Amino acid sequence: MFPKQNDRLQVMSHAVVGFPTLEENEKAIAGLVDSGVKLIELQVPFSDPVADGHTLVNACYEALKTGGSVKATLELCAKVSKQHPDASFILMSYLNPLYRYGLEQLFRDAAAAGFKGMIIPDMPVEQFEPFMPLLDELGLAPILMVTPNTSDERVARIAKSARGMVYVVSRMGVTGKQTQWGEEFHAYVKRIRQHTDLPLAIGFGVRAADDLKALTGTAEVAAFCSKYIEWQRDSGSDVAAQKMKTLLTDAELS
Amino acid sequence: MIRSENGYFGEFGGRYVPEILLPALTELETMFNELREDPSFWQEYVTLCQEFSGRPTPLTPLRRLSKELGGAQIWLKREDLNHSGAHKVNNVLGQGLLVQRMGKKRVIAETGAGQHGLATAIMAARLGLQATIYMGADDIERQYSNVFWMRQLGAEVVGVTTGARTLKEALDEALRDWAASVETTHYVLGTACGPAPFPELVSYFQSVISQEMREQALTQMGQLPDEVVACVGGGSNAMGAFAAFLDDKDVGLVGVEAGGLSFKEGEHSIRLLPDTAEPGIAQGYKTLFLQNDDGQLGDTHSIAAGLDYVGVSPILAHLTQTGRVTPESATDTEVTEAFKLLMKTEGIIPALESSHGLAGGFKRAKTMRPDQHLVINLSGRGDKDIFNIARAFPQPEWPEFLKREAERSQELVDAAKENR
Repeated sequence: MFPKQNDRLQVMSHAVVGFPTLEENEKAIAGLVDSGVKLIELQVPFSDPVADGHTLVNACYEALKTGGSVKATLELCAKVSKQHPDASFILMSYLNPLYRYGLEQLFRDAAAAGFKGMIIPDMPVEQFEPFMPLLDELGLAPILMVTPNTSDERVARIAKSARGMVYVVSRMGVTGKQTQWGEEFHAYVKRIRQHTDLPLAIGFGVRAADDLKALTGTAEVAAFCSKYIEWQRDSGSDVAAQKMKTLLTDAELS
Repeated sequence: MIRSENGYFGEFGGRYVPEILLPALTELETMFNELREDPSFWQEYVTLCQEFSGRPTPLTPLRRLSKELGGAQIWLKREDLNHSGAHKVNNVLGQGLLVQRMGKKRVIAETGAGQHGLATAIMAARLGLQATIYMGADDIERQYSNVFWMRQLGAEVVGVTTGARTLKEALDEALRDWAASVETTHYVLGTACGPAPFPELVSYFQSVISQEMREQALTQMGQLPDEVVACVGGGSNAMGAFAAFLDDKDVGLVGVEAGGLSFKEGEHSIRLLPDTAEPGIAQGYKTLFLQNDDGQLGDTHSIAAGLDYVGVSPILAHLTQTGRVTPESATDTEVTEAFKLLMKTEGIIPALESSHGLAGGFKRAKTMRPDQHLVINLSGRGDKDIFNIARAFPQPEWPEFLKREAERSQELVDAAKENR
């Protein structure tokens, strides 16, 4: 399940469904769980992923060729959530594939497949609000994003509908590039904390053990996604899992 | 002028963007809502268009062609005579006024055929702004002359190599840039698509076309036109040509989409006709997108890079749904025929994009009476796209000339190297 506020930092990692293949996804996820990762996003590949940098964009294109889809994501989750009852799986998708599936049906099917939460970068809080009673009933947490330029008024509105954790986008831009964890960042995290008791997941720019060390004590979750997909792309899922294990050791999180 | 309800036109429109882009869009919306209530702002815009872009553009009767086709009297609204060669500059000049008010020093834009990129580069040069233009790598190859001019004007042109390497990917990449640069950069969206307020804002500036057209028709025809026809890519020239006539129910409004090679998936860019596109939410807004059952946006084709787009203005999607706008399509072959016919009969060289409007308009004019009037919005000119047009009309002397010219250019580059 999701961590509680002030729990020790844990890493959330990533799979793009169909990248490099659907079979490989299962193996990669097992490797992540073995390495000690308990929060895993399963990303539905999309033709136009506007919040992602080149690593995830290219992984999406590859995944679409190998059969990645909403249906494949639900099927994958049904399998891996049974195989790894200690891990929590989070549906990550852009809105259109889910919209085409039918949002209400999708929410029901996602919960039935074992998903605990959802990250949908282009679905603003206003669109989630009408679904909140259903989502609470299903126990499917909308993990909403806040960004450095989100106003206090809007953070408050987002915090009201957020469940599970709040995804704190660490900086301006898209995924896959370095972030500086300076004073400005800490002031930003402090500002978000004023609006919510939920644990915070920091995403965008978490790429090395030093980043994890910098975030230990500041946040409960660090999203280590693009860099992991780069490992998987360049060296395969086994080596990527090995590197993940080393990373957690180096960051003193294992 | 059409107005949205909180950014929506019927079920279409809205603002579905990553949280990071919301503040800039709401800032833009607030500014736009204030400015459009201020008549002096519209006057400032029209004056700028006059001084810089040669507006008003003429309404030209096609006497010889109308007679030859034997139907309605055909007129062209000459957006091809704008500075930069297309209607795109109208929107860009308008957004330039907004950039000045916001005090931002950098602009970015997506471009398909390169017309919008070129117009943006021109505006940036004139206002002393930095400009980065995103363009699909395949479109760069199709429209290299525009790339050449954008770079000469001082803009940075970035080739986008993801996906189908056309307009859709260029728009994605511009959104990614904007997510990182939104505090100092304005995104000059080029068509009546994207997240609110862009569809409405772009249509507002482009409506200068139909406002002029309306007055000119009353003077030159003594009546409003029976039909107004425009090609539809994203939809900005069509919205520009239709906007002032929306309440005139007797004026038929016809949007012509790119029929490409065939009705087969991936061989056309038709979104408004039945059995083509379906409602979807992507690139920041809800509209009719060509897509598969999994919601993946589809591939498109058109002989004209500027019409090669997977979505369509949410305003046009709505107006088509309500029956106010009639959708039509023209195939690549019909388009090249219409292109030749206009050139040879009236001495006007149209853009291939605009030639879709011609093909659709000529077809309709033939079924109308000689006492009726039909206006086609000639959104851009073709003479500057000589490489592209030459490809549509293959003839042996052109590649032979290109070979000789390539040798000459290379000699100049080599000589410059030696002198250094």
